[in-house]
Amino acid sequence: MSGSVSADELAGLGAGAARARRSRFIDRGFRSMTLLLGLALIGLLVYMLIDLTAGAWRTFEQFGLHFFVGTTWNPVRGREEFGALPFIFGTAVTSFLAVIIAVPVGVGLALFLNQVRGALANPLAVFIDILAAIPSIVYGLWGLFVLRPFFDSTVEPFLASTIGKVPIVGALFSGKTQGPDMFTAGVILAIMILPIITAVSREVIAVVPRDLREAALALGATRWESVRIAVLPYARNGIVGATMLGLGRALGETIAVAMVIGNVPKIGWSLLAPAATIPSWIASSFREASSVGLHRSALLALAVTLVIWSFLLALVSRVLVRKTEEQIGEPVGDEPVSVARLGAGG
Amino acid sequence: MTMASTLEPVRGARRAKDIAYRVSLWLCVAIAMATLGVIALYVLARGINALSVNFFTKEPASQLHPEQGGIVQSFIGTGMIVGIAALIAIPLGLLTAVYLAEYGKGRTASAIRLVSQVLLSTPSIVAGAFIWTVVVVAFGNFSAFAGGLALVVLMWPIVARATEEVLRLVPQELREGSLALGLPRWKTILRVVVPAAGAGILTAVMLAVARALGETAPILLTALGNDYINTDPLKPTDAVPLRIYADARTPIEALHTIAWGGALVLLLAVLLLSIGARVLSVRQQKRLA
Amino acid sequence: MSTSRIRAVTIAVVAIALVTAACSSKSSSGSGGGAFEGVALTGAGATFPDPIYEQWFDEFKGVMPGAKINYQAIGSGGGVEQFTAKTVDFGASDAPLQADEISALPGPYIEVPTVLGGVVVAYNVSGVKSGLKLDGATTAKIFQGEITKWNDPAITSLNPGVTLPSTPISVVHRSDESGTTFVFTSWLSSQSKDWEKKIGADKAVSWPTGTGGDGNDGVAAGISQTDGSIGYLSYDFAVSSGLGIADIQRDDGTFVTPSVESISKAGGDLTLPISSDTNILNSKTKGAYPIASTTYLLLYQDATDQDKAQTIFDFVTWALTKGQSSVQQLNYSPLPPAIAAAGLKELSKMTLNGQPLTASGAVTG
Repeated sequence: MSGSVSADELAGLGAGAARARRSRFIDRGFRSMTLLLGLALIGLLVYMLIDLTAGAWRTFEQFGLHFFVGTTWNPVRGREEFGALPFIFGTAVTSFLAVIIAVPVGVGLALFLNQVRGALANPLAVFIDILAAIPSIVYGLWGLFVLRPFFDSTVEPFLASTIGKVPIVGALFSGKTQGPDMFTAGVILAIMILPIITAVSREVIAVVPRDLREAALALGATRWESVRIAVLPYARNGIVGATMLGLGRALGETIAVAMVIGNVPKIGWSLLAPAATIPSWIASSFREASSVGLHRSALLALAVTLVIWSFLLALVSRVLVRKTEEQIGEPVGDEPVSVARLGAGG
Repeated sequence: MTMASTLEPVRGARRAKDIAYRVSLWLCVAIAMATLGVIALYVLARGINALSVNFFTKEPASQLHPEQGGIVQSFIGTGMIVGIAALIAIPLGLLTAVYLAEYGKGRTASAIRLVSQVLLSTPSIVAGAFIWTVVVVAFGNFSAFAGGLALVVLMWPIVARATEEVLRLVPQELREGSLALGLPRWKTILRVVVPAAGAGILTAVMLAVARALGETAPILLTALGNDYINTDPLKPTDAVPLRIYADARTPIEALHTIAWGGALVLLLAVLLLSIGARVLSVRQQKRLA
Repeated sequence: MSTSRIRAVTIAVVAIALVTAACSSKSSSGSGGGAFEGVALTGAGATFPDPIYEQWFDEFKGVMPGAKINYQAIGSGGGVEQFTAKTVDFGASDAPLQADEISALPGPYIEVPTVLGGVVVAYNVSGVKSGLKLDGATTAKIFQGEITKWNDPAITSLNPGVTLPSTPISVVHRSDESGTTFVFTSWLSSQSKDWEKKIGADKAVSWPTGTGGDGNDGVAAGISQTDGSIGYLSYDFAVSSGLGIADIQRDDGTFVTPSVESISKAGGDLTLPISSDTNILNSKTKGAYPIASTTYLLLYQDATDQDKAQTIFDFVTWALTKGQSSVQQLNYSPLPPAIAAAGLKELSKMTLNGQPLTASGAVTG
């Protein structure tokens, strides 16, 4: 810029000031608009919660807390009784089963991916992403036509004749092996939550300081010992967090479970018996439920139960992942977005 | 390494445990790969029988010759429902992300992030129930539009979170340079930051769409399904996941084959999007690194 | 994204929107001159008549090419629900409307029976052929879990000459809401006071024993998978299932095998207009199958959309007349002609903006 200011430039400066004012105005407007949209997102969640609770209110009014512990689900008008326990049971058992299967495999995969560099690591990670991307309906179809017949004819009779004969524990594998059941649902869920457990475990393990592990190896520890001493203790909280995230996903899976679990509101000891989860029950009953009477409202009450449950779970997992961060001193990466994390929904 | 050689060699129980460990890791890999392989193979093998010109161009045929029909109305319906959802969720998510990445430092921003995390982990059936009570009953109609809105509830937080991350990765120097040159904040964001994050935003969109394509539960309660082609967004519409669900539950074998066909097409579409997203994001990271 | 790309995307979006709008306006435009061709309709409800309804919709398209009727078999309960919410153009239910459902309707309605069918007791017991004799009391006890073995005296006394094994009885019932359940449990309630008191009749009940199957096919699959199983299916489904089908005892003591003929004999019991406890169970007509049932179409009397009203009016007229000749090939029974005529009379209550409707030439010709 030269020293002297010409008349043109002076005029330009005046117009420029006006332009600048207008620009600030647009700037503020733009910022407000994006803020408004962010608030709208909050509004959406609040609206959803209010709307569902309003629909569920009649049921809660009628049954109160008994809704959560009642074991009968009877929509016959004149005898209406709605208890959510069979579905809470089914959801809990199948999710638990899924976690028992998926966590060891997922942590194993995470450890493997962590120690292997190069040729094998990337394809494996891609395969896990593919598993995550498979839509729930495809899992359901495969579960219905492939897994269920296979389990019915081979796996379940085997389990029934081996573990099923052991006292006490055998009750888990008793009864009819044919037909849909919680065991098949649990296995399908395990496959579906494997990617997210692997992904989060992998991140958690990756941030454990390498020095400790290398020191252990240098001192002559075997690979297993170095992992046991220098990795797992630090990653433990994070792995529990990953488990919670996996549980959260298992909670919400609807279609795949609905196609293999049988949708029967019963509580029992055997994993080979059909049952129902909250999402699978809502999906199969919702369109038919009448809003004359409490049936539709009771289903919305189930939905509210599910929302509260998954919210609490998300909270707990968030706290645990944060605890790992504190221990390590580094951020685990605030849930970076990837296919494994987002997965394909229900 | 010399230190290690002066120590006692690993033997006995320690060695056994180590071998067990290594074997079990490989076992995990084998389980994961085998599972994926079995699923992919079955979908491919059973689905490919269904793929024909009829499959992609005809509506379902009569009861007596079900194998001659197709599910063209499902493809069109999915396109419409996901299209509506994307048209709404992408701008909403993008602008929300802009707020979080560019403006949001305080409690409001944290609240928005928390909310989007909650929505992300909300079971999709709940979104369907919500939209049913709010939209379907109000309009008096099951519709593609209601289905789209149910998917927006799921896609909005995905796009927002994923885009926020990508925007954060854009180097601060770009912003500072642009502001120094006199561009106002909003122009900086729209003309500089967003284009720089371009591929990353595309990745986020692709992931959200991939997720939306496979969703069944929310549209089960909102779009109803249709045996015919429907192009009116305010009327009941079919979708590929809905058709698969319905066909799988009939006792007719020919419809089962059609269900597998639908699953194959769906799977390929979702895979293409997911892998494409991954490739793009790797490239984006290299660009910004 | 650059400005030009943003422009391109915007143009594409606008173009898609315009095309969509154009297409939808084309599909909803009324018919020009010439014969009425019908318009698209949406219906939802009962699964029991789904096969024959789909067949009818297909045939009707031959009569009126524009009448694309989209029917989603979400269950009788869903049919009533969506009909009440007016989210569909017509509803279908296997159970007649109940008093509280009627009072929830936003306007006067028309309820028309369309076809007859029945519910059979199906079983899979090795060595036992089709035609096992059962009566209401025994059946109720079986489904209550009080009779647990196939060679229970209650069953053997009804079937002299048949060797029944000591296999335990496995009950299979519906896990989803269904009109088939409604009909079956209504019959059980009429045959056993204990059943009526403890369980009752509805589209879904709290079953004291047994496993659930999703839909008729789920129940059929459940029965065929385990030896000693027993369940209930709609007749049209049971015929093709290959399972053993029981002969049911009538109130007059005779045993009847379910068939298109024995079911249609019960049709004479129907009286219109339909009331909330209309049923054709336990028909007094000789040789009539006791667990027979009909299914209903639900319409509103006061229509406002001309094309839709004409289409549905034409369809129901066609179904009650020409359509009845196609039902037997799918193992349903036609309505007795008197009932079909009464149904048409009910249909004539339908008005368009206050004016009565008449069937199009294509339907009556």
